[in-house]
Amino acid sequence: MIIELKKFGTTLVSRPSGKEAWLAFQPTLTDVAENEEVVVDFDGVVVLTPSWADEFLTPLLARFKDRVKLRNTDNASIKATLEILEKYRAGVNW
Amino acid sequence: MPKNLISISDAAKQLGASIDTLRRWDKTYRLSSIRIGPRGHRFYSQEEINRFLRNDSSVAKQWAMASVGTFPSDDVYCPTRDVFQARLEKLQTVLRGKVPESAVSLLCAVAGEIGNNSFDHNIGNWPDVVGVYFSYNLRNRNIVLADRGLGILKTLRRVKPELSDAGEALKMAFTKTISGRHPEARGNGLKFVRSVIIKNPFSLSFQTGDAALYLKEYDKDVVASWVEEQIRGCIAIIGFEHSI
Repeated sequence: MIIELKKFGTTLVSRPSGKEAWLAFQPTLTDVAENEEVVVDFDGVVVLTPSWADEFLTPLLARFKDRVKLRNTDNASIKATLEILEKYRAGVNW
Repeated sequence: MPKNLISISDAAKQLGASIDTLRRWDKTYRLSSIRIGPRGHRFYSQEEINRFLRNDSSVAKQWAMASVGTFPSDDVYCPTRDVFQARLEKLQTVLRGKVPESAVSLLCAVAGEIGNNSFDHNIGNWPDVVGVYFSYNLRNRNIVLADRGLGILKTLRRVKPELSDAGEALKMAFTKTISGRHPEARGNGLKFVRSVIIKNPFSLSFQTGDAALYLKEYDKDVVASWVEEQIRGCIAIIGFEHSI
């Protein structure tokens, strides 16, 4: 399955909108087959923050673990957000 | 054109605002024009424009400091997240082509985190005026966000009752993963802000209560200092060094 994040918007910043995206996408996620990859495509997203990502990507990663693949993550705020979520998950002390 | 006066379109360019916005500011006395000629065309004194540019962030500060809450002017007031989101998207279009695309993305992410933080932490608990003050000024190269919320100390004391003052709370908010929204285990927002500021040609002045901090590129430490002028809620001034 490929999840095109731009379909949720190009400025993904708030917690409520991240949570809403996650909840609204649940029926679609039931179609993911066992062992199928879940590709998250960031193409077209201009602004991403840890708040939005924490409500959508964090539970997605928790559910599908290594099957989640991230694509087109070159944008500056996407890179910065993924970096901070990764540090948080690794328990880095600030 | 009269000497020392500039046209409304020149003033709009300098301020990074639209001509309609300047007309509105004129009507609400936020920035008064000088009407000249039979058709009453608007002109502005360059001195007045310079003064306005210098004082943009102090308008926000005065609003956040005032003992009695008032509603800011419509062009800077975001009573809801939806209004804030729409203006954040507008900021992208204003910045585009004037700063590198990476700066557009990062500045809007930082502003988005700070603005949404205000809503996240004050929902249902706003002491008086609901929402955030959000303005930007390309000439001054800054973005200003303010709220009249509870402030970081009160928010974090819900989960860390031992916090003694605003300075300690401010430092904790920028350095530790902690959320005032117990039992939610999160609170990366201001750590993200700090991480972006110190890795880019940006700066951040942040004040809550009677504590303030200043961060800029390459800064390693977070030092909160005591300030005399107590503020309600928070005020953040994000600076960007790219030439316009």
